Amino acid sequence: MEILSNLALGFSIALTPFTLTLAVLGCFLGTIIGALPGLGPSNGVAILIPLTFTFGLDATSALVLLTSVYYGAMYGGRISSILLNIPGDEPALMTCLDGYPMARNGRPGDALVISGVASFVGALLATIGLMILAPLLARVAYLFGPAEYFALYLLAFSTLGGIASNNQAKAALASCIGLGIAMIGLDNSTGMPRFTGGNLHLMDGVDFLVAIVGLFAITEVFFFIESHGKGSAIGIKLDKVTIPWREIWSTRWTMLRSSLLGFVAGILPGAGASLGSFLTYMMEKSIAGEKGGFGTGVAKGVAAPEAGNNAAAGGALVPMLTLGVPGSGTTAVLLAVLMTLNITPGPTLFADRPDVVWGLIASLLIANFVLLAMNVPMVKVFVRILSVPPWILMPGVTMVSFVGIYSLTGSYFDLLLMVAFGALGYSLRKLDIPTVPIILGILLGNAMEDNLRRAMVLSGGDWTYLFSSAISNGLWLAAVLGFVAPLFLRRFIKKPQAVTD
Amino acid sequence: MRVGDRIFGLVTIVVALGYILSATNIQTSFMSDPVGSKTFPYIIGAVAAFCGLIMLILPDADPEWPSLAGILNLMIALGALVGYAYALKPLGFIGPTTVVSAILSYQIAPNLARAILTGVGLAVGLFFLFYYGLGLTNIDPFPKALLG
Amino acid sequence: MTYSVFKAASLGAVLALGATSAMATECIAPANPGGGWDFTCRQIGKILYDLGEVDAPVQITNMAGAGGGLAFSTVVNERDTDADLIVAASSATTTRLAQNAFGGATADQVRFVGAIGADPGVIVVAADSPFQSLNDMVDSIIADPTSVAFAGGSAAGGFDHLKPLQILKAAGFDDITAVRYIGVDGGADAITQTIGGFTQAMTGDMSEIVGFINSGEVRVLAVLTEERVPGFESIPTAREQGYDVVAVNWRGLYVPGGISDAEFDTWAAKLQAVADSAEWQEAMVANGLAPFTKVGGDFQSWVDGVVAQTAELSREIGVIQ
Repeated sequence: MEILSNLALGFSIALTPFTLTLAVLGCFLGTIIGALPGLGPSNGVAILIPLTFTFGLDATSALVLLTSVYYGAMYGGRISSILLNIPGDEPALMTCLDGYPMARNGRPGDALVISGVASFVGALLATIGLMILAPLLARVAYLFGPAEYFALYLLAFSTLGGIASNNQAKAALASCIGLGIAMIGLDNSTGMPRFTGGNLHLMDGVDFLVAIVGLFAITEVFFFIESHGKGSAIGIKLDKVTIPWREIWSTRWTMLRSSLLGFVAGILPGAGASLGSFLTYMMEKSIAGEKGGFGTGVAKGVAAPEAGNNAAAGGALVPMLTLGVPGSGTTAVLLAVLMTLNITPGPTLFADRPDVVWGLIASLLIANFVLLAMNVPMVKVFVRILSVPPWILMPGVTMVSFVGIYSLTGSYFDLLLMVAFGALGYSLRKLDIPTVPIILGILLGNAMEDNLRRAMVLSGGDWTYLFSSAISNGLWLAAVLGFVAPLFLRRFIKKPQAVTD
Repeated sequence: MRVGDRIFGLVTIVVALGYILSATNIQTSFMSDPVGSKTFPYIIGAVAAFCGLIMLILPDADPEWPSLAGILNLMIALGALVGYAYALKPLGFIGPTTVVSAILSYQIAPNLARAILTGVGLAVGLFFLFYYGLGLTNIDPFPKALLG
Repeated sequence: MTYSVFKAASLGAVLALGATSAMATECIAPANPGGGWDFTCRQIGKILYDLGEVDAPVQITNMAGAGGGLAFSTVVNERDTDADLIVAASSATTTRLAQNAFGGATADQVRFVGAIGADPGVIVVAADSPFQSLNDMVDSIIADPTSVAFAGGSAAGGFDHLKPLQILKAAGFDDITAVRYIGVDGGADAITQTIGGFTQAMTGDMSEIVGFINSGEVRVLAVLTEERVPGFESIPTAREQGYDVVAVNWRGLYVPGGISDAEFDTWAAKLQAVADSAEWQEAMVANGLAPFTKVGGDFQSWVDGVVAQTAELSREIGVIQ
């Protein structure tokens, strides 16, 4: 019953005309951002953050807008996967495998509708899961002391690193780059500057928004320049959209199973939506067996990854809201927003700011229905947007990034830093070094160090304190397994490098 | 050839050692906890150096590097963005935005007329969006000197 | 929290542009929108205007940076004689000044014009803690300093850390560097750690724990005020228990050091008017503040005393040389 009264509170906030407008606007922008190749949920949200603050939105409104963009981008990502065979974002990668063949078989409309419905089911179930699970998990936080938090952060790095790259050393290196950058600025405990080189601009540390926009948006621009925006215009024409009821019904169990698995994958710190869609596609493929015809354009192959990645997107909000540990790149960006708004995610968030939490959850529920409407009957609108040529799009993205950061900090130094992060991101991605662990490192670095230091204060310098509770030991074990396991599994399940026709 | 990873591994080791070295110079205060200000940076530097070593010993296959002309293109883009960062405040929004958008647009699809059109269109369109639509009044349209 | 230092100075300036007029009073909040200093500026600014003490709406400028140090040095170096400028301040301001955290700036470079409310300091334990009174805890620490670890919302050496140390000093315990303290991200985290049993006690402000008092999860061993706090009459003061310590997180203002005595007195009178207003009484209740009004010369000499005391304690624990 408590959930109902909380939900009522949430809807009383979410159903105000202003908040509702923001949710619809966010869904619309998000779907566009998701659909545009090269722009995914993380860079979409990243570009919009500075603008949110310049709007002067309060905490709830800012969160509603940005999570609507987040959910919208998860929906929109499939559009370019299906029509262009270019994933609009990484989680939509698996949707290419059956979505594009289906479209080439003359059924682009069916592929879009089935995947749209699957996205809705996945996202809706995950939001309900978030609603039930998050308050329970919030109580768990009383069991987390400094040693446990330190192990939890480690787990986030190792699982994220384990999946984000094909090379553990590179993933670990990326985490170190982020952590190393986080150390720049005044030391929390002593107030002494570290790694600032006497530069006053660096006293407050590197602003993570600058890093995020640089690594995601500016890096993308460099990649477009390198490829001259190749392969972005040829696509499949979409004529009419009808709803294949029978086929949707036939995928009902696929959708349910995929939602559940995706949700669980999303909850794991650091795993996120890409893992969700990958696992669910693999699961459904093995359930269907050879006869299933996965890879040739079957409905289940379209439904599974979309239900999976949208459910994972919802699941990733659980650890972000309850423990302050993001479950994916985009939730890392959202965590940055919360911190900037002076909202400390964690157990007390549910008690202290029910308006924020439940307003957010109610908005997510509303956003889902808005997105279903936008992505099934109105999908043709977004298909047209795909025809914005990259030679207008990418300069536009660059300028929005610059003005966004400039309006936030008013400093040319931060703009230079952003460009530097863009160049760094380009080199790293060329070498298959993932950039998301860098963001995670910048976000969590200080908290990780602080918890280590607190643990040592409490134990009087005894390092075994880090392994003194069942929870921390479990987390350490999971962290080691999460980091090592991909080394062995990789032999069996190869991460699809690039989707080629 | 597996050069990319080797070079980057080496760079990583050098940077990581430099990081550790600069960590030894961190000022500590009198009130210190058992871990102190230096330990965590040391750990990060050591792990990074170790990762660099692994990249040096076990490099992955090289990615497809851009051609010399491609690298030149990227350098020009980088230069344009750096210039933009410096120019935005003193020269106002419209001018630098036109130039830099046009450069980027030209580099993605080399068509001069289209690039110039994109530059002008983005500069004017975004200015109206930011200045009047979103109320970002801390960007000036033109150089301050001109406005007096 | 380095990462929470959000450079909103320019943003604040943008938002404030609409209300700018040449003669308007300006209130600098040396932090981002949303925090305590921001609240001080916005509330006092609004009430000043509502009462007619100022002619135009007070313009709020958020100037975050260096924990208030940026605003302080700006005021001292660029606005030293500006009589239309007020700056939000609190115990954090004087603590940092006493600990030389503002890069050589000292408290006498500005004039502290008054405080009109305070968040009382508290020492809290979990409901299942063996400590029933402050004496129980102090005895335990004297017997074994490692038996109690404190969690608080400020960094080591900060205001929350100094509260238990002042009590222990008052109890005649001098080995204060042996007392364990961890600084976490705010009072809510500190109380969570304490309820979870990772630390034995929490040191913080009354407003941070009201929800936990009501839910019965914590026991307040002492409140660090002169008298018991209205609304919380069952909580004993440290004074009653034999430790003469008063530590409150006051909310107030400082003004530039170069203004005349007459201008200083004018501000003191205006602040007194705000303190007496019904609007401020309501704002205090809504934000968990207890009455604490000291203005003008009174306040300045009280602040001087606090700064001296903080400096001495900080030297003993090694925060400053």
